[in-house]
Amino acid sequence: MNTEALSRQFAAELDRLPRSAEAAARRAAAFEAFSAAGFPTRRDEQWRYTDLKPISTAELDFAPPPPSTELVSRVAESLDQAGFDEATSRLVFIDGCYCDTLSRTTAAAGISLASLASCSEADLPVHAHAPFDGHPLATLNAAFARDGALIAAEDGARTTAPIELVFVAGGRSGLAAHPRIVIDLGQGAEVTLIQHLLDLEPGRGWFNAVTEIVQAPGSHLTLYRLQDHGTRQFHTALMRAELAEDAKLNCGYFDLGGRLVRNDFDVRLAGPGAEADLNGLFLASSGQHTDNHIRMDHIAPRTRSAESFRGIIGDRGHGVFNGKVVVHRDAQHIDARQSSDNLLLADNAEIDTKPELEIYADDVKCSHGATIGELDDDQLFYLRARGLADEEARNLLTFAFANTVLERVALPELRELVAARVAARLPNGATAGGTR
Amino acid sequence: MLTIENLHVSVEEREILKGLDLSVNAGEVHAIMGPNGSGKSTLAQVLAGKDNYNVTQGRVLYRGEDLLEMEPEERARRGVFLAFQYPTEIPGVNNAYLLKAALNARREADGEQPVDAFEFMRLIRSRMELMNISKEFLNRSVNEGFSGGEKKRNEILQMLVLEPSLAILDETDSGLDVDALKIVAAGVNSLRSADRAMVLVTHYERLLELIVPDHVHVLSDGRIVKSGDHELARELDARGYDWVQQEAASA
Repeated sequence: MNTEALSRQFAAELDRLPRSAEAAARRAAAFEAFSAAGFPTRRDEQWRYTDLKPISTAELDFAPPPPSTELVSRVAESLDQAGFDEATSRLVFIDGCYCDTLSRTTAAAGISLASLASCSEADLPVHAHAPFDGHPLATLNAAFARDGALIAAEDGARTTAPIELVFVAGGRSGLAAHPRIVIDLGQGAEVTLIQHLLDLEPGRGWFNAVTEIVQAPGSHLTLYRLQDHGTRQFHTALMRAELAEDAKLNCGYFDLGGRLVRNDFDVRLAGPGAEADLNGLFLASSGQHTDNHIRMDHIAPRTRSAESFRGIIGDRGHGVFNGKVVVHRDAQHIDARQSSDNLLLADNAEIDTKPELEIYADDVKCSHGATIGELDDDQLFYLRARGLADEEARNLLTFAFANTVLERVALPELRELVAARVAARLPNGATAGGTR
Repeated sequence: MLTIENLHVSVEEREILKGLDLSVNAGEVHAIMGPNGSGKSTLAQVLAGKDNYNVTQGRVLYRGEDLLEMEPEERARRGVFLAFQYPTEIPGVNNAYLLKAALNARREADGEQPVDAFEFMRLIRSRMELMNISKEFLNRSVNEGFSGGEKKRNEILQMLVLEPSLAILDETDSGLDVDALKIVAAGVNSLRSADRAMVLVTHYERLLELIVPDHVHVLSDGRIVKSGDHELARELDARGYDWVQQEAASA
């Protein structure tokens, strides 16, 4: 898509959005910032292993028409079949458009859940307007974001059941959606959130999301994301979080689908005692490309972070892990761990893994490790010597590799769902069965 | 049950088994003894179907069929079981899953229905008690973090569940203390029957005091150089292997 076409789309979209002059100016500034630099290329160090050309050269509609009532009812039916419980607090979006009839905004006391477009600007936390320096795609999101979710928890509020955000691609090809998720946790608040991303039917579009998280002291956020798109979608997302004293963030990202996937994580441990755990699992085969790109800033002393990502890479699959830990000056007593473990299932499977450390303090415990391996011959033989067919044994071992990440999912139902989806997508075909 | 004729096996161009003959009938327990490096473990691995061993001559018949032509899983499904000398750790695959999958693979081959969860538990409970294995064990990953003794007891538990026709036990006694050895022996003895054969590969005689073999063979330099009964094992224990090797050399 050339810049001119993008500008025309932006101008049209800006006119459509009923927003204050201030908001319009922010959008225009974001669009200008994006246009000045354009899509990042592989010459940019941050994008060395991920080529955005498939997205930048695609003809995409950045202002898709809202879903028809017919599409909405098909989505309703498919969510029903997939076992989504009606009683759950949930926001449903179709091709980036909020769908009121499929959503339920009632949540636990002190928790508010709303579509961003339905909020008055005064309701939005200040950080919802922060610029995204260094994240060109997030800047593009800031220009085009129409809607998204606001999850706000008052001091001490707790979710009694996970809140769900469901983003459905409706099968209309060529659409680009730029959803925005704003999460604002008050002191000591505890929230569990699950994001589901799925395709109603296989289509090719672009989902470019931004999740903005601000956590007050002592708050806990557990954030799961099951990206279960078809294998033709483009998916890019920035998750940016700022944690105050003793706040805890725990993420589980499962990337099973998508043609080209790039997840940026930008976590700032700004208060003493803050902790972040990022766990990820991705499957990449048949030409899929998945890139996890992390920047973890230890700004305050006594902060802890752990990143653990596992990739299962099959035929023509390409995985990338780039994890950077920055320990700021005077941020003492830091514990930072990174691991990237990868299983290659085909000769033409590829992984680039690059852990980085930048340390400006002296009392620091940092570790990083990367492993790249194939299935273990002795384990395969042991299973076959017990009567398991070669392919079954391979699937079981592949699943076992994934399972160490799944075991960290604290919600049994979600764990089972992710396990079943992983098993269904394993490169060797048939399901591997569970181990727990 | 098992007939091995003139078996020659090499690993990376080096010949380990040099014309081994052995015949094992149903109902019999054979012990294969021999010094380190004589080829005992190679024999066990070849019978189970490990692929980096090269059979250059000879044949192995299992119930009249060519065993060496079968994939490892086919051997297992037809009732060949190897208790590994060094059982492999498999993180992320739990014991219950493997036991059930192995049992159902064997049942399927016999034309039987797979077991359900209830029947499976009923089936394994008494066997776990016999092997002194607790219930929590079922949810642990296969052999992961197990002590040497636990690994060996787990092998025997699998054997008890799968009820093989031909069991090959590769140094199952190594690394076991007296109590664990008794448990393992009790497990093995409980499976002795007229329609089942066992081959115990061992370095030491002490296991054979608890599982009394019908035949004892001495493997030396890739061949069986002497065969006898339990008395031979006792003699080896008292006198070592040198005299047998000298006898073989002078013959």
